Amino acid sequence: MRLLPALTALLLPLTALGAKKSPGDRFAEYDTKQRSASKAVTLDDRSYEALTTAPRDYSVAVLLTALEARFGCGLCNEFQPEWDLLAKQWTKGDKNGEGRLVFGTLDFLDGKATFQSMMLQTAPVLLLFHPTTGPNARADSTPVRFDFSNGPDRAEPIHAWLSRQLPHTSPPPFVRPINYVKIAVITTLGLGVVTFLSVAAPYILPIIQNRNLWAAVSLLAVLLFTSGHMFNHIRKVPYAGADGKGGMSYFAGGFQNQFGLETQIIAALYGVLSFATISLALKVPRMADARAQSIAVFVWGGVILVVYSFLLSIFRIKSGGYPFWLPPF
Amino acid sequence: MAASTTAPTASTASSSPMAFFLQGETGRNTRGLLRLIILCTIAAAAVASRLFSVIRFESIIHEFDPWFNFRATKYLVNHGFYAFWDWFDDRTWHPLGRVTGGTLYPGLMVTSGSIYHLLRFLTLPVDIRNICVLLAPACSGLTAFASYLFTSEMSDSPSAGLLAAIFMGIAPGYISRSVAGSYDNEAIAIFLLVFTFYLWIKAVKVGSIMWGALTALFYGYMVSAWGGYVFITNLLPLHAFVLICMGRFSPRLYVSYTTWYALGTLASMQIPFVGFLPIRSSDHMAALGVFGLTQLVGAAEYLRSQLPSKQFQTVIRSAVLLIFVVAFGGLVLLTVSGVVAPWSGRFYSLWDTGYAKIHIPIIASVSEHQPTAWPAFFFDLNMLIWLFPAGVYMCFRKLKDEQVFIVIYAVLASYFAGVMVRLMLTLTPVVCVAAAMALSQILDTFLVASAPTENDADTKQANGTPAGANGSIADKLSSALPDTLRSTKSPLVGIYSYLSKSLITGAITSYLLLFVLHCTWVTSNAYSSPSVVLASRLPDGSQHIIDDYREAYYWLRQNTEPTAKVMSWWDYGYQIGGMADRPTLVDNNTWNNTHIATVGKAMSSREEVSYPIMKQHEVDYVLVVFGGLLGYSGDDINKFLWMVRIAEGIWPDEVKERDFFTQRGEYRVDDQATPTMRNSLMYKMSYYNYNSLFPAGQAMDRVRGSKLPADGPQLSTVEEAFTSENWIIRIYKVKDFDNLGRNHQDATAFEKGNKRKKTSAKRRGARVLRVD
Amino acid sequence: MRLLQWAWLGLISFAAADTNVTHESRNILPSTFKPPQHFRNVNLVRNINLEKSYPRETINVVVENIDDQPQSEYYLPFEQGTLGRIGGLEAKDKKEPGRTGFTAEVVEIDPYSPTEYYKITLPAVLPPKEQITLQITYYVLSALSPLPAQIGQMDKQYVLHTFSAYAPSSYTTLKQKTKLKLPTADVPDVTTLPADLNAEGKEDPQKQGTTFTYGPYGEREAGAIQEASVRYEFTKPLTHGKLLERDIEISHWGGNIATEERHWLTNRAAVLKNHFSRVAYQQSAYYNPPTHALKEMRFPLTAGSVDAYFIDDIGNVSTSRFRTNTRESNLEIKPRYPLFGNWNYGFKVGWNIDVKDYVRHLKGQSNSYILKVPFFEGPKQVEGIEYERIVTSVILPEGAKNVRFETSVPLVSNTTGLHRTFMDTLGRTIITLTAVNVVDEFRDRDLIVTYEYPSSARFMKPLTIFGGMLVVFAFSWVIGNLDVSIGKKQKTA
Repeated sequence: MRLLPALTALLLPLTALGAKKSPGDRFAEYDTKQRSASKAVTLDDRSYEALTTAPRDYSVAVLLTALEARFGCGLCNEFQPEWDLLAKQWTKGDKNGEGRLVFGTLDFLDGKATFQSMMLQTAPVLLLFHPTTGPNARADSTPVRFDFSNGPDRAEPIHAWLSRQLPHTSPPPFVRPINYVKIAVITTLGLGVVTFLSVAAPYILPIIQNRNLWAAVSLLAVLLFTSGHMFNHIRKVPYAGADGKGGMSYFAGGFQNQFGLETQIIAALYGVLSFATISLALKVPRMADARAQSIAVFVWGGVILVVYSFLLSIFRIKSGGYPFWLPPF
Repeated sequence: MAASTTAPTASTASSSPMAFFLQGETGRNTRGLLRLIILCTIAAAAVASRLFSVIRFESIIHEFDPWFNFRATKYLVNHGFYAFWDWFDDRTWHPLGRVTGGTLYPGLMVTSGSIYHLLRFLTLPVDIRNICVLLAPACSGLTAFASYLFTSEMSDSPSAGLLAAIFMGIAPGYISRSVAGSYDNEAIAIFLLVFTFYLWIKAVKVGSIMWGALTALFYGYMVSAWGGYVFITNLLPLHAFVLICMGRFSPRLYVSYTTWYALGTLASMQIPFVGFLPIRSSDHMAALGVFGLTQLVGAAEYLRSQLPSKQFQTVIRSAVLLIFVVAFGGLVLLTVSGVVAPWSGRFYSLWDTGYAKIHIPIIASVSEHQPTAWPAFFFDLNMLIWLFPAGVYMCFRKLKDEQVFIVIYAVLASYFAGVMVRLMLTLTPVVCVAAAMALSQILDTFLVASAPTENDADTKQANGTPAGANGSIADKLSSALPDTLRSTKSPLVGIYSYLSKSLITGAITSYLLLFVLHCTWVTSNAYSSPSVVLASRLPDGSQHIIDDYREAYYWLRQNTEPTAKVMSWWDYGYQIGGMADRPTLVDNNTWNNTHIATVGKAMSSREEVSYPIMKQHEVDYVLVVFGGLLGYSGDDINKFLWMVRIAEGIWPDEVKERDFFTQRGEYRVDDQATPTMRNSLMYKMSYYNYNSLFPAGQAMDRVRGSKLPADGPQLSTVEEAFTSENWIIRIYKVKDFDNLGRNHQDATAFEKGNKRKKTSAKRRGARVLRVD
Repeated sequence: MRLLQWAWLGLISFAAADTNVTHESRNILPSTFKPPQHFRNVNLVRNINLEKSYPRETINVVVENIDDQPQSEYYLPFEQGTLGRIGGLEAKDKKEPGRTGFTAEVVEIDPYSPTEYYKITLPAVLPPKEQITLQITYYVLSALSPLPAQIGQMDKQYVLHTFSAYAPSSYTTLKQKTKLKLPTADVPDVTTLPADLNAEGKEDPQKQGTTFTYGPYGEREAGAIQEASVRYEFTKPLTHGKLLERDIEISHWGGNIATEERHWLTNRAAVLKNHFSRVAYQQSAYYNPPTHALKEMRFPLTAGSVDAYFIDDIGNVSTSRFRTNTRESNLEIKPRYPLFGNWNYGFKVGWNIDVKDYVRHLKGQSNSYILKVPFFEGPKQVEGIEYERIVTSVILPEGAKNVRFETSVPLVSNTTGLHRTFMDTLGRTIITLTAVNVVDEFRDRDLIVTYEYPSSARFMKPLTIFGGMLVVFAFSWVIGNLDVSIGKKQKTA
């Protein structure tokens, strides 16, 4: 970013060359370009200037982006193929360009001057230049700007936006080309799985039909869900938070939020408690030895008491003013 | 047995000296009587624990949706059933109106309506309001009873049922939706849910058409009562399907499922709101598919029983599989081609959890559709939450059809409850049942008076021989992985020492007591406030009631035209309809997104933009909720962003959420607030005249905790009509068109008087022109 | 059985109708009716008291019979339309106030005639050349109109009262004067009458303090009118009850009399010029100035009232205080919002009193009782309240008969009927009494009801309930013993 001014200083004079040709054949030129490339035209400062200088009887949609890896603009790289696809489909849509719309891509490396002149801090930015002459001319020549505020965008919303912006061009419908490779892969995989199952059935079946397995699975699921794992999944909560004093805090303050680690701790506590209950209910009465049995009873009973009281103490952290507690915590 | 029967609640009986009453025929009668008494006590407890709000406040309908149900019930009672059935309500969704009779679940209203008429017949003219208020607690009593029956089907220990009943009776997870006054569909739906499950289990066990038909009957009732019936519609087929996959297909299953599906579908199609959904929407397709599958499997079984040939059986099996796959494909095709409607939004958002937030902001905006954090689980079912997995595990001990049901129900319901807070409601019953099973197991084990001796334990050991390990791979494997639970391999002995018995029993009892305390505390503190009336504590500890909602609504009711249209955010639509009895633009039945977005746009745009909108919709009064003075956080400024988002969904170019955040992406109301924010109608109406309540420049918003701009907003197209005592509700009257045809900015500026103002007014007018 | 019941209830109502004096009996007269000139007003003094929100007029007149027959019917004329707003018109003999038997009733004339009459019948005929001094008092409802009709929230309110300087009379009046009693000295404008009208040649009105006097005037013929009006400061609410329904339910089993009053109030005061401003209202709450808004009401209830409540259509109103002790009990209520001009408020208040303080055994008869309660209660305000219509209904226990009632409030209609409520088989006897144009000064007039309540009726209800229970049990027993199972093995649990 530092060397921007210098570069602009060099590049600015060149931009003057742009505004020579008449708008008509300018459009023809770039239109053919984007048709041949079957993607958005890659621009640099000059061609950008050339393309966007008034008078214009066509409209231009330019994506200002930073594809270079070192800028680390994930969004740009995610969106680029979508953008090209959109350009392709659109140009395919109106064969002989009644829409008079040119798609362009200006990478930061080729367009530092432009970025500078527009004082862009962020990328990607999508600019739409309305025609300045002709039937659909707009009064103000300033381009309409679409900022990618909410997350990685797909082609459809952009297409919708463009069609809204250009009501006069009957915009061609956007159809995503079907990905045959994907389908083929999936089918083959499916078949493979089926064959594997049919072969391995006698070995797998007993395992599948095993009760303990299912019990374990369903218990895990129940524990996972009841300890608020879905909340983490949906809200994308941090795994653990830092308290003010440099240490890390395992429990998020407040009733309505939680950390990933926290839920795992809770799940573990629940697991211990229910395991103790199970052993008290099922294992202990099956112990033949009296002493062992009574010891087990004491142990499990103690475990339940301790863990439960610990759980209560945690809950007191979460919701202040919760009055109940158990010894020892 | 007797001891365990009466363990949880009436241990006095077990310790009664008269042993005569505890043996033989009389013994059975005594236990029956005790059980009955206990159940009645439980029902009483369930009802009593829901009356906090009535005792603390009054017999009043709570919150939002109940107000609509109440209004609909009054309509039903006054105009009769048929008028109710085709009720077109022109006092909501002005100017569209709403086909209310065809777009609601009538079960609740019809229930309370018939109760009302029954009481009338017995010459007990009870006010319909009281019936509505007390319906939920009454049903919760029934629910306790239903869960007793349900659990008794699950486990042979009679104490399990009683425990489940009392758990169901006082578990906050269920109380949260069934306190006196929360007159909502869930009030009766949960009872119907549990009872339908009970009947289903009964049907599957007995395999009689009668039970199947009863299941269908109550399923129909459930459909008429709550949209959550889809849960049953998919759970029962899933159960049947799993049973088939486990190779447990039986004539019992066939009979009960077929009966239920045929009759139940017919019954459900009688509800106008449901209509042909059962054959047109994907939510119901699982049931249909399993119905077909049962037919196929039934046929296959029959053939197999006729033809012993091995190959032929494999042929049949593969044929069944093939047909099933083909049918499934056909279904998919139908869905794609649109003959069968895809999953409905609310239901779909359960699977694709991100779906609602992007596509249906209205659903996402409702607080009870948020995911559930773990404290909520613990808060709602304190100790049960860790007894729950234990209970589920015990279901695997002897995995009969009904236990399979519990397992499926448990996993599914806990998933749903994790995704949506409100579905905690469907989780609670299974939690109560499972926990009761676990706990009753412990109690039965540790409350047996007689202790075993060492030697009979040994004999038990002796005859408990492991299964022979020979034969095919499968046998070997299965012997390696025994088909019983590992914890229950060795035979049952019993508890030797009385010390351990008394220890565990004491511990469990104290936990139970703690549980009761917890439930009572939660109920009285969290779930017993009718959110229409707010209560606050005065310094001297006495309760002070903040009644602004009703103050303002009653003002509307008494001092405005009966046809005056009131515009407010949709949360308050039902209350305005119920309490102020005035037509509204939008209400909590959010059937028309565009209309709601229109209101959102009017609220979030500049006056010049919103005034035409309001005039087009014939709005006379605008009602906003403002908590700034009192620090009441549930006000409109906090909900404002949702209005913006919903409006943006329809007019992306005119309303932009971005514009309401400062450069640093903060949502502010003080003088840092963005111009869009400060010019929005909502902001102006909330803070209009507010700063004149404070010494100059001291105006303070106690919710956002931020200092307000020194000069308050100016309103030109609406004028303050009424403001409630604590400023919570502010009502504005929309001005009529200016007599001289000026726009209101000029008019107000002109009223202001002197020359300089006028020139400025001209400028302002001009600017307005350019912007429009 | 049922029919019979109805039949004798019908009888009762007739009996009741006959037994009381003031039920609707009006004689229609042709519009050309002129009262016969039997009388002459020798001297007349009329006081118009404007201290409350409704004017009270008192006419003291010396009447002389100038006919040669003894006469007893004295007519009092009113403008058409005014008569509908006249309330509580009563006449008595100034000389001996104890003397009773004066009756006053509206003379019905077909609606086209400009004037309508009250006919006052003297207890005894007045022989020729004799004189009697009548004192006639009445109230005029909704007579004060705020002027200006729109004022600010904190402004003073001025009201306009229009009247005739000459007293209404259908006879020649030799000498008369009219006195106005105003609540304040702040009187921006009052009609002044030229001196030549005045008998003593003074210019009217003559003011002493807050009393304005018109007259004395010399001989004026019948129906003479001299328009006059006064506009004075009255910054108080003009509370106007559109309707007051009052139920008094007596239960001998419960030993309780439950009273409920349903009010529909409106404030006739000046309308707010700008809309209601909460800021101004809250600021004024500290020093509270006189205002035309109705902020709170006080119900002085009969002593020993308990568990009072104050609710409206959407539930309980928490802003009420109920103080009770052995001597008095007061219910002080605040409406949900202050009532400014043209604002309405409808609400219910109710309370219980012990039956044995208000119901006595009639001496002699064993099971006949007498009930004595106020005809209506309602709030007691300094500025007074006027009621367009009051409907009081007394709900007697089931099976009460021979109902008679007596009250000094002028009624316009009364009916006796049946009212079915909690666990009634036949329904309870209810009498409904209607009075129009009543002001709160009548709030301590009593209503006395006597009725018979045989002990057979007293025990009917428990027996009915017992029978009902019996039937239910028998029915359920029969149902329980029916065997509806199809097959043997099918045991439907």
